[in-house]
Amino acid sequence: MREIEIDFGMITNDNVEQLRIINSTSLPISYPDGFYKDVVIAKDESLNKFAYHNGFVIGAICCRIQKDGDASSKIYIMTLGVLPSYRGRNVGTKLVQSVIDHATSEECQKIGISEIMLHVQISNNDAIKFYERLGFEKGELVENYYKRIDPPHCYILRKKL
Amino acid sequence: MTSKDANPQAGKGIPLPKKETDLFRSVVKHYECKQYKKGIKSADAILKRFPKHGETLCMKGLILNCTGKREEAINMVKLGLMNDMRSHVCWHVYGLIYRSERNYNEAIKAYKQALRIDKENIQILKDLALLQIQMRDLEGFTQTQHLILELKPNLKVNWLAFALGKHMKGDCKGAVDVIDIFLSTLEQGSTDLQKSYETSELALYKNSILAESGRWNEALDHLIECKEKDIIVDNHSWLKMCGYYQLQLERYDQAKDAFLKLFERGSTEDYSVHTGYMLAILNISGDLSKRMMKSKGARALPSLMVLSEMQRSMLQKEYENNMLVQYPKSIATRRIIITLLDVESDEWKEEIQSYIQLNIKRGVPSLGDDLSALFLCCSPENGNEYYVAEDPVDVKGHQAFCNISKIVDDIIDSLENNSTFPNDEDIQPPSTLLWAWFLRSVLHEFAAEYREAIHFIDKCIDQTPTGVDLYELKGRLVKKAGDIAAAAECLDKGRDLDKQDRYINNMTTKYLLQADREKEALEKMALFTRHESDPEQNIFDMQVTWYELELAACYGRKKMYGKCLKKYMAVEKHFEDIHEDQFDFHSYCIRKVTLRAYVDVLRWEDAIWGQDTYVRAAEGIIKTYLHLHDNPTKSSEDDEIDYSSMTAAERKKAKAIARKKKLKEEKKILEEAKREDGDEAKSKTERKNLVKDQDPDGLELLKKPHLDEAKRYAATLVKNAANHLNTWLCQYDVCIRRGKALMAMRALFQALHLCRESKFIHHEIFKRIVDFQENGKLAEGSHPAVVEVFNMEKATLLGPTSKSLNAFILEWYEKVKANPPSALPLRVEVAKAMLRHNIGSPMDASKLIIENGLNVREVTLNNCVEALTVLKSIEGSEQHATEFAALAKKVYHLSSNF
Repeated sequence: MREIEIDFGMITNDNVEQLRIINSTSLPISYPDGFYKDVVIAKDESLNKFAYHNGFVIGAICCRIQKDGDASSKIYIMTLGVLPSYRGRNVGTKLVQSVIDHATSEECQKIGISEIMLHVQISNNDAIKFYERLGFEKGELVENYYKRIDPPHCYILRKKL
Repeated sequence: MTSKDANPQAGKGIPLPKKETDLFRSVVKHYECKQYKKGIKSADAILKRFPKHGETLCMKGLILNCTGKREEAINMVKLGLMNDMRSHVCWHVYGLIYRSERNYNEAIKAYKQALRIDKENIQILKDLALLQIQMRDLEGFTQTQHLILELKPNLKVNWLAFALGKHMKGDCKGAVDVIDIFLSTLEQGSTDLQKSYETSELALYKNSILAESGRWNEALDHLIECKEKDIIVDNHSWLKMCGYYQLQLERYDQAKDAFLKLFERGSTEDYSVHTGYMLAILNISGDLSKRMMKSKGARALPSLMVLSEMQRSMLQKEYENNMLVQYPKSIATRRIIITLLDVESDEWKEEIQSYIQLNIKRGVPSLGDDLSALFLCCSPENGNEYYVAEDPVDVKGHQAFCNISKIVDDIIDSLENNSTFPNDEDIQPPSTLLWAWFLRSVLHEFAAEYREAIHFIDKCIDQTPTGVDLYELKGRLVKKAGDIAAAAECLDKGRDLDKQDRYINNMTTKYLLQADREKEALEKMALFTRHESDPEQNIFDMQVTWYELELAACYGRKKMYGKCLKKYMAVEKHFEDIHEDQFDFHSYCIRKVTLRAYVDVLRWEDAIWGQDTYVRAAEGIIKTYLHLHDNPTKSSEDDEIDYSSMTAAERKKAKAIARKKKLKEEKKILEEAKREDGDEAKSKTERKNLVKDQDPDGLELLKKPHLDEAKRYAATLVKNAANHLNTWLCQYDVCIRRGKALMAMRALFQALHLCRESKFIHHEIFKRIVDFQENGKLAEGSHPAVVEVFNMEKATLLGPTSKSLNAFILEWYEKVKANPPSALPLRVEVAKAMLRHNIGSPMDASKLIIENGLNVREVTLNNCVEALTVLKSIEGSEQHATEFAALAKKVYHLSSNF
């Protein structure tokens, strides 16, 4: 593994176009404008962040907090992407790890974050393996989760904290 | 004006009663505190009883002037002065009013009148001195300062101002004497003798005057004396001055020490310090040292002048064995070593390769420009000094360029295949490959190989589509390849990625203007101006000259000449303001003893009308007026007519209507804003806006006599920018149209003189010499003696060998033919002259243009378009035109012109 150094940076209204580029080069579905608006409004660098290498944005992760009930809530990973030329260098791992670190922090424990979860297309074995390496476990199958891609089914992956 | 000036003994010698005297004092006080309403109230109270009291009338006028009521103010002051011609207060106010109108000559006269009545009025003397230094009446300034000094010899500023006056008028010895006398008046232990910023600056100022008059020995002794007294705080300047003087005195060992100390202080990246150090090592004579030390930028001695083998090896030894060991992190040192090596040697290649690898690893976007400074050439005309090759023909043939290109190709090859540098094991991150491609792209750009350059920058964008810098280079390449519209799009894409990046935003604006999309350009600019009020006004307030120059050119292309002139004149206005801004420095700098910097500012201001930006604006104005002069029917008083007479008339008409509509809207907005705004101060600025908007399309400017206006601007250029070739070209163009053959001829001689070091004639000069031989005639009835001299000089213009115009054209035809890389535009001009005068066959002219393809100098898109037009006009040279178009299409593959 040829690791490269990265820094994290905030996603703002001024640079959100770069998030669009990251997502369009790494994800099979395109996200609506509302998604990008929410990320900018959230203004929370611990949940939405860019990975910079040598001054350029090369990857990004976007999450949100989901309330389950009164007591517990979880962090949901909406998107994770790294530019193709920069893959295989632990950038994605570092991005997810930073979210895991945040989720286990005192601040999150106070609001009762109990797990991190995400959806992954059932055919995406690389992604499943990637998350399993980080301690995620495969959960239930959701049928017809996606509308425009094939196969349309997905698994839920979770990491209990 | 101080309260002391408020002389109540006025009204034709009759003193005011006690109550009014007090009131008058309060008027002055209110004026000074800017309480204008109260001031007017008090003044009115006096005028109620003494309506003809001159000083009160003047004071009221002065206050009215400050509240923006100009006309009323002037009339009131004049009335006051008429009623009391013997009052210094009235004359002083009269001067202040002129001053506020920037009519300094009249203001000076008024102050002098005031001083006749009240000889020792310090305030008026000070105001007079300010105007005199502003107007550069150096003699008068010095005299006034002398008077002030005699009145108040206990103030330090008065001594300094007097010394400065002497220095500025060229009396260096006198200036030094004044400073010495001042220092001798100080008592022991005075704060002005102790170590402090002010003491140090004054000492260094005196020292710089000594150096200026060439008294190197004295200057050096003085420096050392200062050090012994321990009063210097600016040790960096002190060392630099020491080193420089010692070089002048050819005391090389001491000079070397001074520069070494500068390195120790951390100046290892300052190329001028390196130059000084090397001059000392090589024992270069004082005169040559002086010339070399003047150079600025990232070029040290070995890239400034040709050194002998021995000199180079001496420096190389010093730099490799000592400097590099002492300062292993210094980039300048490494770079200088490269310039000491022979470009052909393996050593050079090794050094340059490690330099490139270091910098692409770090991701330095400017690496290409940095390396381009290594493309050094020296021609016999240039003596022993180097210049940097810039023309693609010269770059492509340069050994350093070829070697660097080869090295970069190898680096890319290795990175693409193994992710490592050649001869290296370390795996590189993808960004290293990115910057290697980027560098390759820039190198192709230097060689005008835009297609290849775009190929590499596309790879970069493909790999890292989030890189803002990449879009900038891509845009520049697309523009150079001939498609400005696509270039603007490309930059806009980059801009989108980082909306806080003002640089890419400005570049986008510039490209949009060049693509004639001025409306969108303004929108982009508005993103970074203040968000209140009109962005156009904000841009003006910020003096954004590059924007105004581009916008003016854009309007010029669109044949909206009124607006075009307006924008050029906005630039002129900025220069007036910048000149005006000096006022802020005159008293401040002397008080703060920043005298060295102040003298620099004064000298810089003296030369501002010769700055490129101003020259470009003046040139634009002259060319526009000359165009209007030459095409009177096409563009008469207003440009609307011009629009309808064009092809695609309807579209243009619609445009004109749209413009009018917009105008109306703008006015409406302004009026609304005015209505909403009740505040006094704000309504003043609104009024200023309104004044400006009375002629938003510059129609009034179009009505001015075109040739007279052009003449006026050409005259400022001649006076201030005599070292610009374009000055003399403009002057010629104006003079020949005004029928001033002698002045036109003089302009051509001046132009030739400027280019005397070049072996080849500039095509613009060639064109005008031909034109002058054809059309330059003296007015009828000129004195025979004048005619004789004129004809003689006219023949001299053709050079020492040619006796007639035909011989002149033939001479250049042969010279151009004998030198394959001769510039394309010169080829075109010679060909045009040949065709007009039937010299050689049309085919000869046609061949002259095309014979060396595009492997000639000064190939630009516009020059190619011009060449193609000429080729197409020559009968029987269709083949050549087709060939040429194909060649041009290869270089400018995105242009629709070929």
